[in-house]
Amino acid sequence: MNIIIDRITKEYGGRKVLDVDSLDLNEGAFCGVIGPNGSGKSTLLNIIAGLAEATSGQVFYEEYGMTEPPLKRMTMVFQTPYLLRTTVEKNIAYPLKLRGWKPQDIDNRIRELADELGLTDFLKHKNWSLSGGEAQKVALARALSFRPELLLLDEPTANIDPATTAEIERMLKKTNEEGTTVIVVTHNLVQAKRLCKETLLLNKGKVVEFGPCEKMLKNPENELTQRFIAGEILI
Amino acid sequence: MFKKKLLTLGLAIIVIMSLFVGCAAEKKKEAAKIIGTIRLATTTSTQDSGLLDVILPDFTYKTGYNVDVIAVGSGEAIKMGENGEADVLLVHSPQAEKDFVAAGHSPARYDVMYNDFVIIGPKNDPAGIKAAAPNNAQAAFKKIYDDKVTFISRADKSGTNTKELSIWTKLGLVPSGDWYIESGKGMGDVITMTNEKLGYTLSDRATWLNMSANTDLAIVTEGDKDLFNQYGVMVVDPKKNAQINAAGALAFQEWILSADTQKLIGQYGIEKYGKALFTPNAAAK
Amino acid sequence: MDVIAEGFKAAIALLLKGDAQLYEIVGLSLGVSLCSVAISTFIGVPLGALIGTRDFKFKNALLRVIYTLMSLPPVIAGLLVFLFIMRRGPLGSLELAYTPTAMVIAQVCLVTPIITGLTYNIVREKADKVKNIAVTLGAGKFEVLKLLLSELKIGILAAIVTGMGRSLSEVGAVMIVGGNIKGKTRVMTTYIAQLKSMGDYSTAIAVGIVLMVLAFLINSFLYNYQQRDERL
Repeated sequence: MNIIIDRITKEYGGRKVLDVDSLDLNEGAFCGVIGPNGSGKSTLLNIIAGLAEATSGQVFYEEYGMTEPPLKRMTMVFQTPYLLRTTVEKNIAYPLKLRGWKPQDIDNRIRELADELGLTDFLKHKNWSLSGGEAQKVALARALSFRPELLLLDEPTANIDPATTAEIERMLKKTNEEGTTVIVVTHNLVQAKRLCKETLLLNKGKVVEFGPCEKMLKNPENELTQRFIAGEILI
Repeated sequence: MFKKKLLTLGLAIIVIMSLFVGCAAEKKKEAAKIIGTIRLATTTSTQDSGLLDVILPDFTYKTGYNVDVIAVGSGEAIKMGENGEADVLLVHSPQAEKDFVAAGHSPARYDVMYNDFVIIGPKNDPAGIKAAAPNNAQAAFKKIYDDKVTFISRADKSGTNTKELSIWTKLGLVPSGDWYIESGKGMGDVITMTNEKLGYTLSDRATWLNMSANTDLAIVTEGDKDLFNQYGVMVVDPKKNAQINAAGALAFQEWILSADTQKLIGQYGIEKYGKALFTPNAAAK
Repeated sequence: MDVIAEGFKAAIALLLKGDAQLYEIVGLSLGVSLCSVAISTFIGVPLGALIGTRDFKFKNALLRVIYTLMSLPPVIAGLLVFLFIMRRGPLGSLELAYTPTAMVIAQVCLVTPIITGLTYNIVREKADKVKNIAVTLGAGKFEVLKLLLSELKIGILAAIVTGMGRSLSEVGAVMIVGGNIKGKTRVMTTYIAQLKSMGDYSTAIAVGIVLMVLAFLINSFLYNYQQRDERL
């Protein structure tokens, strides 16, 4: 799925928190969204996900000019995983049941994902018995269960240990290679360098720079970008 | 997991058992061929004496009317009569009853039974009331007033309260001060309070007999004609509203004045206390 | 001190004897409470969920009213209901005064705001998270509602059990509208009050024990369910 953002703005009580003129993400993009706190990263993600409404402007999904998010073909993973009050298995199965998958197919898919994310031993465990890292892996497995065309992530590994982070990153890369467009908000510039193909830097709701990841993070042209990467606080 | 199942089971058993018994009780009533219900307003002392629990089943059996007994203070019972909220009254405030009839709220009042009041106080009688006036209510009250002895009053317009106030009136005294406690409570509660405070109070003999075992009190004054407690029955004027069960009320009045019931009343208390609690005195028909 | 000891001894004896009057009273208490809580749940849970997930013009005012009604003194509820159903009152012709039905009505007035308010709190706290997850996993409007109900199940159960506890322990309203009539509207709480005023402490303690055991069982039930708490 490709995403086209057209003059999206978001205002809260007269204050403009997001003002993105245009943004083009091709199918198969892996975009890292970075920027200081309050720069509008999560707002942008929520608008694309359909969880928040833009004050003005449109998001186009796919070349056909769809302005309504195709909710059954996209998904989002949050910083803190919210698992349903049930077993790991049933959590992962939930979106598949919603889409009318056959029980046998659901079983196979769960086994496949559990294998890839090291969750096979946890399938019958209840949601409250999992550690933070395990829960996030389950949330990811659940999100990927139906093979979404668009995957949004809001700081998915901010609270996760390095080992689990590596597993999750591996999974994200693999999913992207299989054709899923990925947009991930992250504070971790090193992670962005590891994963992303393109990078979007936001500051105070506006786009500072958007471009190929390696170039932007290694040799930024924009002075603001330079300062941000150097660890300076952008005002 | 097991603990939860056990608790659920326990809860379920109690719920089912109670509902089952509740339903069984309902069926019992149906077996007695009930044709209606009457609402009897009476006093808490009457209810607390236990008399009604013993004799009312006889009424239901004979007439097919269930009795909803609403036990409140005499004042409220009479007010209920005025408002048409009750079908028939059984109270013990002769003056108030006569006023009730005079005002047209009831066609007539009839004597049913009497018991007497007693003045009670701590067993060792620190104020010396018994020594001074074992059979003279007015003298006892005067001494209590003069010596400012702790006295608990019902202060709730009940029959007992009315009787107490009438004695003060006869003496021309108006009790007030820290020693005179106006509680606003029922007879049982007042006796408990009297026990706690080691004071004195006026009580109907029935409630006193029921409660005496649990207290450190004793009778200090009794037997005075002034301590006479006359009960009366009155049907409420059925023209007040459409819900009044006039037939049932009249049936109750007739029943309680009948010779058989009067005999029942006269027997109540003998088994438990060795002495009858009430003396039936309905006029012979 | 020995009054209390005597009371406990007599209490055990009475309970073991299986006194019919006692069981009838317990049965009525449970019946009235279960009935009123059922009705209050039926009204309060959807209402609370609705208020928690929508925004509308008088929302704040409505919430203030609900919160105030949550601490409505039972005697006031009883008095108000009685003024309506007494013979002289506007609904006098229905002959509801001094009946178990009147007791249920009064308790519904007391318990519904409680269940509504507590449900609203649960929903407001968690509904957004549940909705976000449901939407991002592809759930339609109806499926979102289904998920909401199943995810908030435990919180809502807590609200219902709170209502049940309040209803069982209530004495003011049921005394006023019920009249504590033997065999008809006498429940555990009004019976205890009467026994105390008659000086019959042993029976009062016995009934008190039954009431406490029931309260304990109901709350243990909830406690066990709540044990497994969520990690959001």
